[in-house]
Amino acid sequence: MTDREELLDLLYGSVLSGDVDSAVAVTQEGLGVDVEPTVLLFDAMIPALEEVGRRFETGEVFLPEMLIAANAMQGAMTILRPLIVAAGVETVGRFVMGTVAGDIHDVGKNLCNVMLEGAGFEVIDLGINVPAEAFVEAIREKEPDVVGMSAFLTTTAIEFARNIELIAEVGLRDQVKILIGGAPVDQALVDSAGADGFAPDASSAVRVAKSVMGLA
Amino acid sequence: MSMTPRERVLAAIRHGEPDRVPIVLGVSNATGIKMKPYRELKRLLGIEAPDEYLYLWPELGTAAIDEETLVQLGSDVRGVWDLEPASVLEANTTRPPHADYINSWGSGATEIRPGEWFPMVCPMKSATTTKEIEDYPWPDMDDPTRVAHVAKEAARLAAEDRYAIMATPWLLFPLERAFAMQGMDTFLMNLALHPEFAEALLWKLEELCKTLMGHFLATLGEHVDIIKIGDDLGTQESLLMSPAMYRSILKPIHADYIAFIRERTSAKVFFHTDGDVFPLIDDLAEMGVDILNPIQTSAGKMADLQELKARWGDRLTFCGAIDTHRVLPAGTPDEVRAEVRRVIEIMGPGGGYMVSSVHTVMNDVPAQNILAMVDAVREFGTYPIAAGDAA
Repeated sequence: MTDREELLDLLYGSVLSGDVDSAVAVTQEGLGVDVEPTVLLFDAMIPALEEVGRRFETGEVFLPEMLIAANAMQGAMTILRPLIVAAGVETVGRFVMGTVAGDIHDVGKNLCNVMLEGAGFEVIDLGINVPAEAFVEAIREKEPDVVGMSAFLTTTAIEFARNIELIAEVGLRDQVKILIGGAPVDQALVDSAGADGFAPDASSAVRVAKSVMGLA
Repeated sequence: MSMTPRERVLAAIRHGEPDRVPIVLGVSNATGIKMKPYRELKRLLGIEAPDEYLYLWPELGTAAIDEETLVQLGSDVRGVWDLEPASVLEANTTRPPHADYINSWGSGATEIRPGEWFPMVCPMKSATTTKEIEDYPWPDMDDPTRVAHVAKEAARLAAEDRYAIMATPWLLFPLERAFAMQGMDTFLMNLALHPEFAEALLWKLEELCKTLMGHFLATLGEHVDIIKIGDDLGTQESLLMSPAMYRSILKPIHADYIAFIRERTSAKVFFHTDGDVFPLIDDLAEMGVDILNPIQTSAGKMADLQELKARWGDRLTFCGAIDTHRVLPAGTPDEVRAEVRRVIEIMGPGGGYMVSSVHTVMNDVPAQNILAMVDAVREFGTYPIAAGDAA
């Protein structure tokens, strides 16, 4: 095994086991010996995150392990992100994400962000308690391909429909695909809110996003 | 044969068939009603009663339901609960409008929209060492003002001897407390990254819970039938943590806590745990849980009521199972009645089931649907109950 392969293996293992210190150190080491940022991302970190997602879906790992893997990836991404942007690497698409107004739950949303960024999306996170107007403004300014809205409560899931109505009212509905997610979300809610789809968990968010964009 | 509500509850918990399936509504934040539907209920029922809050805590938003409404709802339990220390209640009553609500633990809630409070103040967010646990200014669980009111209320209910007395101290749950202190995602990560710290924090929190629980139970004496504890262990689709992690870290703490309670009271242990907790039900039964709540039918395998009844119906009493995900907020009164009937016909035969909403009735539930739920219990919950087609 070459040094480069060993290094990618180590980075893969660091993300998989959620060791953020190691993920950052190995990333820096890799850059120091001229491994391209995209290689570190696409050949080590994303496969690791995909593996964590697979294990999550099959019930081999649970939220703690998924969260620490995402955290390790985020740690390394703070170093890689500016380099990848500077290199002008083309993104899969632009994704605006936010937890709806009246809701502050963001564990699932943040995991989705990491998975999406790992899959090559540019993610713009509007945060929590995001009013409908802020989604509209972000669509105007950032021109995303997909907007993701998250809600944890049945009492705040009603915001999906309100947001989508406002986006339609101002004439922006045809410009974006809209995905919803969170504990109360199912296909019936997608239909009643007028969204384009939903992801039951973070690991399937990428698949669904690509699918509504016609990429998969 | 007509029974008193208390006889009805006790018969069901003993896995016998009472006159009708008991109703557990009000009383706690897991079986309660939020203020908006409570106001609407009072209006529909023509009841005039003040808008009071459970735990004297407006930011929680759960109503302390007046006696007349409880009677109209047919609720078979009455509650006793602790309070934050008088000094903390006073400090929060007199704080500037819209300022964060902070409790005696140092955690608290922020108002994100007018009247909507979320638990976002997490004082141990960055802690990862046992030294930080040692150094934290933990609350005084011996403060007598926490339980000063309890003895009189419990004695009154006991003298009345009409309703089952359910003790619902606020969140004396180690995992939920850890989430409050650190934030849920942070603490879940610490369980994986810093297990020694996470475990030490849970044991510390359990010690504090036990101290107050000890005072609470001593004050209640014999005047208690059900004691509510819990910890949310499930998500919409599976468990919050692996069964192995639960069994190695949290289960010994839960076991110790339940043993502590059982040493001090003959009251039945009511364990509230949201989400799909199917893989841990054997563990809960083994530790001495008597009543499992809320049977979140919208979450994974918890939808399989037949399986729950068949596997654990002889050991556990189920309380809950009336869906708050879709049926209660979005269903018609007829759909609510049909769902209550369906659940009762599966869970009711042989006793061991008490009707309640899956978690507190939230602000999106029409009061008509709450009334439809309890009317359906009166209509379809009278024993003997024939197992329906669904069963």
